[in-house]
Amino acid sequence: MIEFKNVCKKYPNGTLALDDVSLTINDGEFVFIVGESGAGKSTMLKTLFREEKISSGSLTVDGYDLVKIKNRQIPHYRRKLGIVFQDFRLFPDKTVFENVAFAMRVIGEPTRSIKRRVPTILSIVGLQDKYNDFPRELSGGEQQRVALARALANNPSIIIADEPTGNVDPKMSLDIMNLLLKIQKRGKTVLVVTHEKNFVDYFQQRVITIKNGKIVDDKVGGMFDA
Amino acid sequence: MRKYSLSYFLSQSFKGLWRNGVMSAASILVLMALLIVMGSFSLLVYNIDVNLENIGVLNEIVVFCDENCTDEEIADIGRQIRLLDNVNEDMVKHNTKQQILDEERAKYAGTEVENVFKEMVDRGVNPYRDEFIVTYNDNSEVTTLEYQLGQIQGIDKINSRADLAEKVEGIKNSVTFIFIFFLVVLFVVSLFVIINTIKLAVYARKQEIAIMRYVGATKWFITLPFVFEGMLIGLIASGVAYLVEWYMYTYIGKMLMQNSSILTIVPFSQVDGFVILGFLAVGLFSGIVGSAISLRKYLKA
Ligand SMILES: Nc1ncnc2c1ncn2[C@@H]1O[C@H](COP(=O)(O)OP(=O)(O)O)[C@@H](O)[C@H]1O
Ligand SMILES: [Mg+2]
Repeated sequence: MIEFKNVCKKYPNGTLALDDVSLTINDGEFVFIVGESGAGKSTMLKTLFREEKISSGSLTVDGYDLVKIKNRQIPHYRRKLGIVFQDFRLFPDKTVFENVAFAMRVIGEPTRSIKRRVPTILSIVGLQDKYNDFPRELSGGEQQRVALARALANNPSIIIADEPTGNVDPKMSLDIMNLLLKIQKRGKTVLVVTHEKNFVDYFQQRVITIKNGKIVDDKVGGMFDA
Repeated sequence: MRKYSLSYFLSQSFKGLWRNGVMSAASILVLMALLIVMGSFSLLVYNIDVNLENIGVLNEIVVFCDENCTDEEIADIGRQIRLLDNVNEDMVKHNTKQQILDEERAKYAGTEVENVFKEMVDRGVNPYRDEFIVTYNDNSEVTTLEYQLGQIQGIDKINSRADLAEKVEGIKNSVTFIFIFFLVVLFVVSLFVIINTIKLAVYARKQEIAIMRYVGATKWFITLPFVFEGMLIGLIASGVAYLVEWYMYTYIGKMLMQNSSILTIVPFSQVDGFVILGFLAVGLFSGIVGSAISLRKYLKA
């Protein structure tokens, strides 16, 4: 469960990016977060994976208190999350297989179980034929699917995606969104920040709308009207 | 706790070293140059020290006994000398006047003065006196020791080395001081060089470090390959520096020995252990500390 209570985030330069945000996301939910550019969507996700600390209020995720969490616990906390960015953030000199395997190496997974698990995940995202390709040899949509596979590698309970289709051509975007929905069906909580009105309206999921750091709308089966 | 494979870290650090080829080579060269300068300097100072010791003829004072002393009195003088603070008990050597006469006579055997000695022996005359060669521990306390020796009944004459000892001590102190000063400066410089090299390496991999953090890599998991990389730099630099130092030292030593007979050059085989250990210590330390410091900024959490 994710719980924001009266969360404010003020950047050192004085920008108030989150302004008294309170909200609860239950396990297994699928949530779109929408809002115009600069509204505070990315900031909200950053506070979730503890890239940024909140300035006031409280934030708990799966029992982790993100205000009180100690620095050395943060890596372990992050392993509960799978994070996907607009710009993929793959290792350019590692193959598809190695990019996914990397997340498992980081947590000390033995090579044997890496070899068993990576192919499974790659087939979930439909990349079973691309093991040995390098990121530059793949399309944007394929690269994003590698990133998704990496996010799934350690079987996290929450997937956080910041504009995952931003650098993917429209045809492929639907694939990515469908994949995210499929992942949610497998029991994970999925948070997706997006600009794509069509998808939001089409998928009929919970939609949280942010404006100037405040939540202005939060509806299940909501529509995109930022 | 799961097992992390050492081979992963090692291969990462080799790759890193290779990828930053130019910078790695540059820092190996700079560190190597610094080690060689440091090493040569240390060896120079050590050799100066050894040569100064030789001039000081090993902290000795020669004490002559009164002509009229009986054997018991002389033995008693010996006991008193051994009791003094600054005196090395086991290193007080007693030469009787008979021994000295015999030695001197042997030394001049076959020369024109030989007859003088023969005549002395025939007439039962011995112009020499019993002497004690006293080895002391502390050069800076030599004046006190001379005074104490002068107080002992039956000691007639003290062959003083105080002046020379003081001078030698003074030179040694200033050489050591300059030495330590330069060593510290060189060390700081080498640390600075390493830090900057690894900073560049880290900067080049800023993105990768960010990814590592997102997938939940711990600090040491991220740090270790860089630390290994720093260690490799240190290791290679100290290895090559050692070989260069060895060759240079032996070569220059040989040249100096040919041109001068009073100089003592400590053979390299006597100092090689210190050189390699010192190089490794400085090389590895700057490698490790350098990488740790350069990474700090990127690992705030
Ligand atoms: N690191 C930062 N330092 C200062 N201001 C920031 C920083 N990151 C974002 N902001 C500001 O915070 C506000 C929200 O940004 P962001 O969360 O990125 O918006 P969104 O993702 O909705 O476009 C914007 O005004 C942005 O300029
Ligand atoms: Mg954003």
